[in-house]
Amino acid sequence: MELIRIDGLYVAFSTRSETVRAVDTVDLAINEGDTISLIGESGCGKTVTGMAIMGLLPTNARITGTIRYGDQDLLSAPDSTLQRIRGKEIAMISQNSANALNPVMTVGDQIAEPLLIHHLLPAPEARQEAVRLLSALGFDEPERAREQYPHEFSGGMRERILIALALICNPGLIIADEPTSGLDAQVKSQILQLIKKQIDGNRTLFLITHDMGTAHFLCTRTAVMYAGEIVEIGQTHDLLSLPMHPYTQGLLASLPSAGLHPIPGVSPSPAHLPGGCRFCTRCPASMDRCRREHPALIDAKGRQVRCFRYD
Amino acid sequence: MSRKILLWGSIVVLCIYIGIACAAPLIAPMGPDAITGRPLQSPDPVHLFGTNNVGQDIFSQLIWGARITLLFGFFSAGLSVLISTMFGIILGYYGGIVDEIASRIIDVVIPLPTFVLLIVLTTFFSPGILTVSILMGVLSSIFGIRIIRSQVLSIARMEYVEGAKAIGASDFHIMYRHILPNVMPLVMVRFVSSSQHLLVMGVGLSFLGMWDTSTVDWGTMIQNAYSEGGVALGLWWWILPPGIAVIGISLALAMIGYSFEEKFNPRVGVNRI
Repeated sequence: MELIRIDGLYVAFSTRSETVRAVDTVDLAINEGDTISLIGESGCGKTVTGMAIMGLLPTNARITGTIRYGDQDLLSAPDSTLQRIRGKEIAMISQNSANALNPVMTVGDQIAEPLLIHHLLPAPEARQEAVRLLSALGFDEPERAREQYPHEFSGGMRERILIALALICNPGLIIADEPTSGLDAQVKSQILQLIKKQIDGNRTLFLITHDMGTAHFLCTRTAVMYAGEIVEIGQTHDLLSLPMHPYTQGLLASLPSAGLHPIPGVSPSPAHLPGGCRFCTRCPASMDRCRREHPALIDAKGRQVRCFRYD
Repeated sequence: MSRKILLWGSIVVLCIYIGIACAAPLIAPMGPDAITGRPLQSPDPVHLFGTNNVGQDIFSQLIWGARITLLFGFFSAGLSVLISTMFGIILGYYGGIVDEIASRIIDVVIPLPTFVLLIVLTTFFSPGILTVSILMGVLSSIFGIRIIRSQVLSIARMEYVEGAKAIGASDFHIMYRHILPNVMPLVMVRFVSSSQHLLVMGVGLSFLGMWDTSTVDWGTMIQNAYSEGGVALGLWWWILPPGIAVIGISLALAMIGYSFEEKFNPRVGVNRI
């Protein structure tokens, strides 16, 4: 069953002199139980897409399109509706950083907070639930951890706390924005195992990452984003073993295991996008047509790709 | 180490003052208004600091006067901090056009000298002690609004505030549960330093006769000694005790304020005291 359907999502930020198109006409359907990842480099609009689902874009963003969730459009829903959905039905595992948790609130209180906000449990039970979740997420002494403050924990442990914060209300959809950034390899794999175990078939995951390995490990479907639009979307395994779009091919070739061949050039500024295909200036296989026309997302071999070569 | 002794010493001094104010009826041998002797008596075992021009016991007045003087300082400081915290958080959190307008108004009001403004304003209101302390609280809150607002500006952009929105918290919840606790240290510093500032200012205003001169507080005591010949006749036991009492509490509060500020704000230099 379809959980969320993004239709023609367009997000722009206007500065005094120019308009920055952060997300340009993204269509994406997320089914219940899906694990889908959005891959792309910094500034391609993947985080903005996640924020749009949460309804957390800054007020200066100009947004068009729809994000259907049940019988609601999340983009036009009033704040009160969004507040009811956020954390309870759609939760977010935010990027791990020093300021991701409130420094003056105990970890237990922070984890129990969503339950209290949504009036799901009275305070004593909510605290018990926080302890239970902490122990499920690998804290040896959850009773002690509950009383501690965020600065007393390592980066990996803080990430676990952020995961607990997202899971506590048992939400249907979890949006994870770079959940393993800034963690070393071993901790990273522990965290990924943990997320996989928690998702495990009964939750829907929308992962935002720039890391192919993370996407492959957690997600069955992957969408590749470039300069504000989706350029290729399909089964993660197919996509990684046989990339079709030149950008996806370039991304895979730039991995250390493939010999670290970077894509030449830099991605275009979202304020000055080229007229035709947005990748044409860096594309090794670009044709005349690529500079003139903007390609549409077309079906090819069980996936969708935005390239004239598959026309 | 000596800094720590200074802080604890100041806290002890402050506690003594508060204790005296609370226990005034037990400590003071006579009532604040009772005429218990001949006018202008010198100190003796019954009247420790002698008597004033109408024969009231100065020691008892000093003890009773602590009540109004301290209450005045703490009440207006409390009001000041309450207003500046509330508005500082709201302006800093929401930002936008309201914040812009409020900030410009604050910029205009801050350079106005509070003391003079207060004297002018009290002529428009009935100059009771409550009116004056409310006015003082409101006026001095304006500078505090700016300080707290600037702190909230940086806190409101922290990721945990975004995170709180992502778990469905309302704006009120975020301001109350996440931003307020994070500005609390600054609020404490503001409270201590404004109570020192406002207490001294209150003594000054009462010396100038901003309210009923029959009120027994340290300002009116000094005023009395000054205008009724205490200074001219060299009756030091009349004028010195209230003056020293004011200096003592003022120093204690200032020391506590500086120590707090150093603790909570690492940018304040260590050589400030």
